[in-house]
Amino acid sequence: MRVALCICVAAWALNGCASQQLSIRSLPPETPAADNAAAIKNAAALAAVATAASQSPAAEEGDHAVIPLTTADAPSMYSYDPWERLNRFTYRFNARFDETIFLPVTYGYGRLPGAIRSGVHNFFTNLDEVKTIINYAVQLQPTAGVHSLGRFVINSTLGIGGLFDVATKFHLDSEPTGFSMTLSRWGLHPGPYLVLPLLGPSTLRDSVGLLADFGVAYEVNIAHLYRGEKTWAFGVVDAVDQRANTSFRYYATASPFEYETVRFLYVHRELIEDDALHVKHHPKVRDVGTPAGK
Amino acid sequence: MASGLYAAGCPGIRVKYPVALALAALLCAATSASGAQPDGALSETGPANGLADSAALRATVFGPAPQDIAPLPDSVPLEEINIALPWVRTVPDLFWFDRRLRVWFSAQDKPAPLAIVISGIGSDGNTSKLSILRAALYGAGYHVLTMPSPTFPDFIVSASSTGVAGDLQQDSRDLYAAMQEIIAHLPRRVRITDIDILGYSLGGAHAAVVKSIDAAEGKLKIHRAIMINPPVSLFNSVARLDKLFAINIGSADSGVERLYKRLYTRLANLYRMSQRVPNDDTDLLAAAATVLKTDADFSAAIALTFRIALMNMFLAGDLYAGTGVVIDPRHPPRPGDSLEETARILRGKPFAEYFAQVFAPYYLAHRPNSTPDSLKADNRLDIIGATLRTNPDYYAQTNSDDLILDKPEFEWLQATLGGRIAVYDHGGHLGNLGERRQISDMLDMLSGHWRQSGQ
Repeated sequence: MRVALCICVAAWALNGCASQQLSIRSLPPETPAADNAAAIKNAAALAAVATAASQSPAAEEGDHAVIPLTTADAPSMYSYDPWERLNRFTYRFNARFDETIFLPVTYGYGRLPGAIRSGVHNFFTNLDEVKTIINYAVQLQPTAGVHSLGRFVINSTLGIGGLFDVATKFHLDSEPTGFSMTLSRWGLHPGPYLVLPLLGPSTLRDSVGLLADFGVAYEVNIAHLYRGEKTWAFGVVDAVDQRANTSFRYYATASPFEYETVRFLYVHRELIEDDALHVKHHPKVRDVGTPAGK
Repeated sequence: MASGLYAAGCPGIRVKYPVALALAALLCAATSASGAQPDGALSETGPANGLADSAALRATVFGPAPQDIAPLPDSVPLEEINIALPWVRTVPDLFWFDRRLRVWFSAQDKPAPLAIVISGIGSDGNTSKLSILRAALYGAGYHVLTMPSPTFPDFIVSASSTGVAGDLQQDSRDLYAAMQEIIAHLPRRVRITDIDILGYSLGGAHAAVVKSIDAAEGKLKIHRAIMINPPVSLFNSVARLDKLFAINIGSADSGVERLYKRLYTRLANLYRMSQRVPNDDTDLLAAAATVLKTDADFSAAIALTFRIALMNMFLAGDLYAGTGVVIDPRHPPRPGDSLEETARILRGKPFAEYFAQVFAPYYLAHRPNSTPDSLKADNRLDIIGATLRTNPDYYAQTNSDDLILDKPEFEWLQATLGGRIAVYDHGGHLGNLGERRQISDMLDMLSGHWRQSGQ
């Protein structure tokens, strides 16, 4: 019933908004001074990372040297997309939904004081630590698992139920993982590209991972948030928080090639992650003629 | 639960720093390359070409160091305006998302002059460069309206009267008409005391031509115009960028594929060496910045960024003009159809082909007595040379190492603007946009206080 109502409202909004002659939308103010200060800081951090990477033990010659990939190992530029027509349809639906419903709601949410928004964001990030801890356990990564467990305990207690990210102040940075990455460690390829309704770009492996992670959260049902009367409201706030923290804007490129562009970036980003994860193994020579992700 | 899927979208959409844009563009372009066979080795090390030196290329790609940026205000209000223009033509299905022109506006809460800023070739009205200019102008007390380039697909579809972008005068007339509509629809609380116009790169040339049109028509009474790193001849500048593509990437598909593989491998190895996984897109892009190393890389990034802009222009122009180069006018692709093959073909087409196959056929048919040479001549800044020479309200900023200008063009700009051009000795193309000196000169020019002796 609720879903049917939502679909009706969505259809009405999608029709109405597209034909408006003029719309003026207030965006969150830009903060150039703070952005530039952050850029100065990032530039320094980046220089440090680059230096560390070139000097890390893994980069040294010897028995334990990482075997670097060569261009022959790079996957094809093509992305494996057997469900392209359906995906394009979903992408278009998502774009319309985003423009007419999701973004206006998110901009409204953006008018709340920053302290409230960061509290909400920290709260959901903290809940995500549960699946991170479980997945690190399954991946047999005890150090990372304990790291995330430490974050979860600190933020849930000192951080008052996760509203404050105290752990990061203690230099315990967030290192999220999920079931998709677990599958990747087990050697599973990303599989076909898949555009999920409302959620956006994904791959088959990511979608399975998402479902499994949700299943875990549902089973653990921390603080009865995932199975209860108000679970839908909880889900909506989570979705709005995610959207508010994502700068992606559908068709900001104004280009008909956007679908191809986003697909390429999504799939190849995932392949780079896989390559980074499998560093301890000898690099496999791929058949570069096979579409990426297959 | 929404789980971070959005976060892995296209980082090229709205990124903060030019290098991210360049790399995203680079990766974006690779989207639809074919699996064509390599046709020769690609040089891995510089110097890449004779068009620009290493410092100019690096500055063009990376932009100014953040510590060199001019002081900017803490907060800049921002509104997004979407407007359907009355003269818009039937919107092709393929461009269904571009029905309305999208511009960005920052309003002062008191009466103030309005600064209109026009983006560079193929770019929208909210690029990172525009963000910096907007912040500086807003901080100096202007209302700021930032507009896309007439070569940006959204403008071509929603505001162009031809659909065939690239004609300096026609595009400027369309811009001028769009500006009037937008200003007429600004909220009533906005009180404008004066109007100035600026633009960077191709947008600089547009700014000057729009002011010259306004001088004749008087509808906006534009006061001063500033061209930031403008081309003198659009077609010459574009030819230089196409040459950069040919030298550094090679012939289309196979060249782009080699470039993609090189960058993919470097990026993956960076993460393998540091034994970590990219945490988010910012992290990934920051790392990506470090894999652009040689002059050849920088040149490739610049050339490819431009080629991507051209792909959109080409596609739209071909569709509107019905020239049938990549799109069958009787059976245009529908929104559900794959454009991979179209992109692959377009990636291999330089501007010369756009001119010969789309632009010239369209304008020769619509402008009696024109010839290909006259079309090229009409796209030089010297169509308003006499005005630029004598009118004290036109200013320019450029760099002695700007790679879109050759020596005679650079000298022409200097001679024409005389005491109203600031020339910097570094920055390549737009690589110093936002630096303290550039911003303070720009603001002095707008207020009419700038003197060349101040250099």
